[in-house]
Amino acid sequence: MHTCDLCACAMRVTMCNHGSSLKRNMCPHPGVYAGMCMRCGQEMDDEFGVAFGYIHKKLRLASDEISRLRDKDLKNLLRDRKLYLILDLDHTLLHSARLLDITVEEGYLHNQTDALPDNLKSSLFRVEWMQMMTKLRPFVHSFLKEASNLFEMYIYTMGERPYALEMAKLLDPGDNYFSSRIIAQGDCTQRNQKGLDVVLGRESAVLVLDDTEAVWGKHKDNLILMERYHFFASSCKQFGLNCKSLSQLKSDESETEGALPTVLKILQRIHRLFFDEALEDNLEDRDVRQVNLSQMAECTLSFLIKALVLKTVRKEILKDCKVVFSRVFPTNFPAEQHTLWKMAEQLGATCSTELDPSVTHVVSTDAGTEKSRWAVCENKYLVHPRWIEASKYTWQKQPEENYLVHAKNK
Amino acid sequence: MFFHIVLERNMQLHPRHFGRDLRDKLVAKLMKDVEGTCSGRHGFIVAITGIENVGKGLIRDGTGFVTFPVKYQCVVFRPFKGEILEAVVTMVNKMGFFAEAGPVQIFVSNHLIPDDMEFQSGDMPNYTTSDGSVKIQKESEVRLKIIGTRVDATEIFCIGTIKDDFLGVISDPGSTS
Repeated sequence: MHTCDLCACAMRVTMCNHGSSLKRNMCPHPGVYAGMCMRCGQEMDDEFGVAFGYIHKKLRLASDEISRLRDKDLKNLLRDRKLYLILDLDHTLLHSARLLDITVEEGYLHNQTDALPDNLKSSLFRVEWMQMMTKLRPFVHSFLKEASNLFEMYIYTMGERPYALEMAKLLDPGDNYFSSRIIAQGDCTQRNQKGLDVVLGRESAVLVLDDTEAVWGKHKDNLILMERYHFFASSCKQFGLNCKSLSQLKSDESETEGALPTVLKILQRIHRLFFDEALEDNLEDRDVRQVNLSQMAECTLSFLIKALVLKTVRKEILKDCKVVFSRVFPTNFPAEQHTLWKMAEQLGATCSTELDPSVTHVVSTDAGTEKSRWAVCENKYLVHPRWIEASKYTWQKQPEENYLVHAKNK
Repeated sequence: MFFHIVLERNMQLHPRHFGRDLRDKLVAKLMKDVEGTCSGRHGFIVAITGIENVGKGLIRDGTGFVTFPVKYQCVVFRPFKGEILEAVVTMVNKMGFFAEAGPVQIFVSNHLIPDDMEFQSGDMPNYTTSDGSVKIQKESEVRLKIIGTRVDATEIFCIGTIKDDFLGVISDPGSTS
């Protein structure tokens, strides 16, 4: 066998012919760097293979080579008992807002670090050159530290590369977790879709953590959906949430009970199930997506059970009450279909349109109606409709004395 | 490979620079414009060593700028296919390693790294022989052969190999030379 000095193809040839195009064509062209085959140096098409610009801007790889690298890497990773974890940035690990979107109420965030409340001192950052502020999600550093023992981690964001690199510096100042594994919008092969085609890991060993399901259309089974993190007021408006933001309430997600500690436990569980020694098949044949799906099914089941429990508990709140409504519903409106009627029934009360001795409460806004006067005469409770709503939101029967309706002074 | 050659360039100068220091200003502008650039033919212009000749200036119609043809000597650097170079490793990953020889960026893919060297990931990713005697990591100096070159406006890219005899690590970054 002869290896050609010029192109180092190391291909078996009986007769060496330097510069022969025949030899060049035998090279499998595993990839391209700056427009040249990385194995034989031949000039290649600009659109060859898949671009891996996040590793090096001039790098492209052929699909065979990508598979080969994935298989090789998986062996090494499984030996270290690790899988792959892809992390989204915005609303998953952190929340960023432009400086000009910071509202007056959030003005205290502009203070010097020493003047900030304790929980913000190490998690709120001002990125002057990008004119924005970033708040890291509570527990994020512990999360990354723990997860790095179980996973090789990637950042995958729909933001632009400079933003992604800046956020990586905040999350990983020691460059321990991500190194060059930072994928940004420009690396996506399809617009508005995130894909695992640019990840050098086999799909059956990849888990994804993201707050948006739509961008992972082709890989829903790899996805663990995260609760969105909204710190600044700017995104509350953007997502149509009509409440005050965490920054305006001067509050934050719980460090111990929030979304990140919860999802860490899920990841640890999936990892444990995947590497279960009791299973007989090879690690390489296992699929983390199946573990993820069964984990999701269990979560759904436990959620349904919880919902059922809540429903039963709710029916206890007004369980011994018999309620009649007066001048609350519009005339000719079927009473049983009114929200207030249904709400009272949800809380366990019995509702009626007719008065009788078993009635305990008359609900009205007006003390002058016939039914209202009957209630006062018969020593029954005459309460405002807000009594029912308050009982619902506080999960307990409110004291009627706080909701009495009084006769108007003539 | 380095070359010491004579190149020519047409320099445009604004009339406000005319006067006693005209030639100095011309030379200063030449250095600013040319040093650090790349061309496909000559490679990377490293430094201007001297001015050979400044021709007669030609006044351009309409603008008032004057064009001087300048012949200058300079040191250029251009890698060639088949050339042996020494480079410093800048990044190591599962696909191979990147190295730099001055302004030239070279990629050596793992296909062109000897088979007995395996990639080890970690804090300092590296390629190591099975007995651990030879290690390639960031800051290592390596001797490599150029397989292909590509030049653009400001940079030169090369594909390299260390699979041949006498190629590979020259020194460990930790050892004193």
